[in-house]
Amino acid sequence: MSRAKNPGKPRQPKKLRVGIYGITGCAGCQLSIIFNEDDILDLLDLVDLQAFPFIKEVNADQHFDWVIVEGLVASEQDLATVKKLRRNAKYLVSLGACAATGCVPAYRQFTLKENYEHLLYRKQKRLKDVEPTPIDAHVKVDYYIPGCPPDKKEILGFFTAIARGIEPRGTDNPVCVECRKNGNACLLDQGKPCLGPITAGGCHAVCINGGLECWGCRGPTKDMNLNLMIDILRKKGFDDRFIRDRMRTFAGLKLPTLNRIFHGKG
Amino acid sequence: MPLMETYRQTKADWKRFLEALMKGRELIAPVKRDLVRFERVKDIEDIHLKSMSYFPAKHWFFPEEQTLFRFSKKGFEMPKQKEPRRVFFGLRKCDLNAIKHQDMVFIKQAKDPYYKALRKKSLLLGYHCRTAPSPFCFCESLGLPDFFDLLYYERKDHFVVEVGSAKGKALVKKYGRWFHAEKGLTPEQRRIKNADTLEETDIGRFYDHPGWKEGVNLCLSCGACTALCPTCYCHSIHDEVTVADPGSGERKRQWSSCQLQGFTKVAGGHVFRKDRESRFKHRIYHQLEWFREKNKVPLCTGCGRCIQGCPTRIDWVSMINRMKDDEHRT
Amino acid sequence: MTNTGHSQEENPLQPRPYRVREYYRETPDTFTLTIDMAVDHDPGQFVQVSLPGIGESPISICSDSRKFIKLNIREVGRVTRELAGLRKGDTVFLRGPYGKGYPMEQLRGNDLIIVGGGCGIAPLKGTIDYIENHREAYGEVNLFIGYRSPKDIIFSRELEEWQQKYHLHVMVDQNPAGEFCYDGRTGFVTEAIREKVQDNRNKVVFICGPPVMMRAVIGILQEKGFNDDQIFVSAERLMFCAIGVCCHCMIKGKFTCIDGPVFRYDQIKEDEQE
Repeated sequence: MSRAKNPGKPRQPKKLRVGIYGITGCAGCQLSIIFNEDDILDLLDLVDLQAFPFIKEVNADQHFDWVIVEGLVASEQDLATVKKLRRNAKYLVSLGACAATGCVPAYRQFTLKENYEHLLYRKQKRLKDVEPTPIDAHVKVDYYIPGCPPDKKEILGFFTAIARGIEPRGTDNPVCVECRKNGNACLLDQGKPCLGPITAGGCHAVCINGGLECWGCRGPTKDMNLNLMIDILRKKGFDDRFIRDRMRTFAGLKLPTLNRIFHGKG
Repeated sequence: MPLMETYRQTKADWKRFLEALMKGRELIAPVKRDLVRFERVKDIEDIHLKSMSYFPAKHWFFPEEQTLFRFSKKGFEMPKQKEPRRVFFGLRKCDLNAIKHQDMVFIKQAKDPYYKALRKKSLLLGYHCRTAPSPFCFCESLGLPDFFDLLYYERKDHFVVEVGSAKGKALVKKYGRWFHAEKGLTPEQRRIKNADTLEETDIGRFYDHPGWKEGVNLCLSCGACTALCPTCYCHSIHDEVTVADPGSGERKRQWSSCQLQGFTKVAGGHVFRKDRESRFKHRIYHQLEWFREKNKVPLCTGCGRCIQGCPTRIDWVSMINRMKDDEHRT
Repeated sequence: MTNTGHSQEENPLQPRPYRVREYYRETPDTFTLTIDMAVDHDPGQFVQVSLPGIGESPISICSDSRKFIKLNIREVGRVTRELAGLRKGDTVFLRGPYGKGYPMEQLRGNDLIIVGGGCGIAPLKGTIDYIENHREAYGEVNLFIGYRSPKDIIFSRELEEWQQKYHLHVMVDQNPAGEFCYDGRTGFVTEAIREKVQDNRNKVVFICGPPVMMRAVIGILQEKGFNDDQIFVSAERLMFCAIGVCCHCMIKGKFTCIDGPVFRYDQIKEDEQE
């Protein structure tokens, strides 16, 4: 083995200029990066962290190789930020469920304005809201790290991959794949409304490991059999309104066919 | 069937025997919690033999995830691992034959050192199903031979034990004080009663049968069937690097599933089995037809776990039976 | 607890280090590596090429030597893009060769028609080199080679030599005017085959290229009276183990890695549509 010398690209890599920003969201996804306590210092060696306003005081706002954005577009300010970051970065990454699907905040799109308007928006005149939407409704997204919150190890995998200049490895396999490997009992069999079969995995089925059914936070798989999933839940005794609301909670905007399937019921 | 060495063992002696084997070995046996799984057992009282395990024992030989190599820029090194010695108790005919079939794949064909290391140090003590332990199992339809080191037939107050290998023979010799002479069993006594029937295993002619649609329409492509199958051996291999030194890390293999769309996705993005039907049929044809073409036996051992564990209980056994019935009608 | 003590020699998945002898850029997205791997192999067989931390990728051998192997690689995935960074003297990790190649021994005495499209020419170049080393064993050799455009021409170094030794028919699908000096024919390789191939007497055909091209060529050959067992095709599938256990490359029970990648068309015909 000692003959081995310098496999891979012969390069003296310049560290990638990375920015991590948050728009409307809970900041939990940015926390997920920081939760990699044991590896965070090594991580900072891998890339040149130019901006991370969540934990840094001085932050660049342009000339990024990669920009990572948490949160969804819910205000005019968000929109301006996302567009500016897109202009100033070679690659833009959507971090977390809000950025990827709109997640819970986008649920506003499925309720009547009268139901929520008086609670906040009439009081806060300065807040110029826009329809809550995922980032990719406005700018091109190069890579998605989904999840509410995202898996912290997946974030590490992402950084090590880009630092070496290779494509990060995501998964589009349903949650069930990891869930069965973990030896869990199937929650659908126990009558719980688990969305694992139509939801992209990569989370190691963390919710089901803990006894909670999958709510679909990582968004639908490309290969999902949505109609069958709905049929299964109906047969288990859930009504259409419940099924529709459950499916919309995390990924409503990525399941536009729900409207048609439920036909405006409920 | 050749005449097998047969012994009688009292239940008290059985306990003593297992306890003796547990010195220097891990005992792996079915344990009932929310479901029945093959687990490490410390107390023999925990062994559950009343129903079939929901999960097979597969992962004890072919783990869900396994490190093949540690690598650095200098190269790939196989981890020096000390595999524990293990004794398995409570494997049923389907489980035992599944191990035999995986032996064909990993030992005979691939000469896989990882699987072999785990297998070599294992004693396989089977447990005979007097009646089918699950409404979904159909092992008797597959004409499987017996395969075990020792096979236990439970009687009211004792076990009848058959010896199936040199390893088994050596055990009886070493612990002879707990084994007493007994007359051999008849084929009728060896039979497993009330198992479901798969009426046709030679299903090549059904490939284009419209009857498959029923199953395809009920399929979520979730991969539960392949994960719960004691024989399915498909896997992927990937490199994982450390953050401290992205040039070093581990090459790992993980279970995969032919039911997933990404299973046949090549660099560049083309997917060869994109439609659900071809994936659905792929598993069943590999199990019944294609493995047999190469290895003379079907891969499937009839445990029915893929049906039991399917979120929609796709009963492909009945589907094939109906295809066969249709044939006679027309 | 005892040590299992198996030596690395026994591990079929063990990649071993080899030295890169030459790196040659063929086109904007393909390159050819010559690697110091002295090994017996058949044309059409492949090796698994590893880069630590990136992964493994099956690449067919495009040479016929016992002293080295040549690999023509197109940059399409993680591994192949990284391999493009290798240069003379670098180390690369390989295992193999694997699979069933072209049954050159059995086909002695035949006229050969070799049809390659794009980077599908790579495994066929192995057969051409083999023919060169055993020229007396084969009759007339016709090479039909199609590229997308002049800038995609791989093996341009070899084409000149082939021109002198065999009946060479090079085509490009399209030739965006003025981009390159190219004085060959424009059109699909199928046109040349329709023109130049008269009958199936004493002939065998090797085809490797994009599925659409392979289907079109087979269609024409069938019109001209070729039997399926005169045609050999090379399949490409996702593959991890290369030894028939990971199952990703299975085509209706046949493993591309051990039963292929070269199949006689009658053995795979029904299944290839999958």
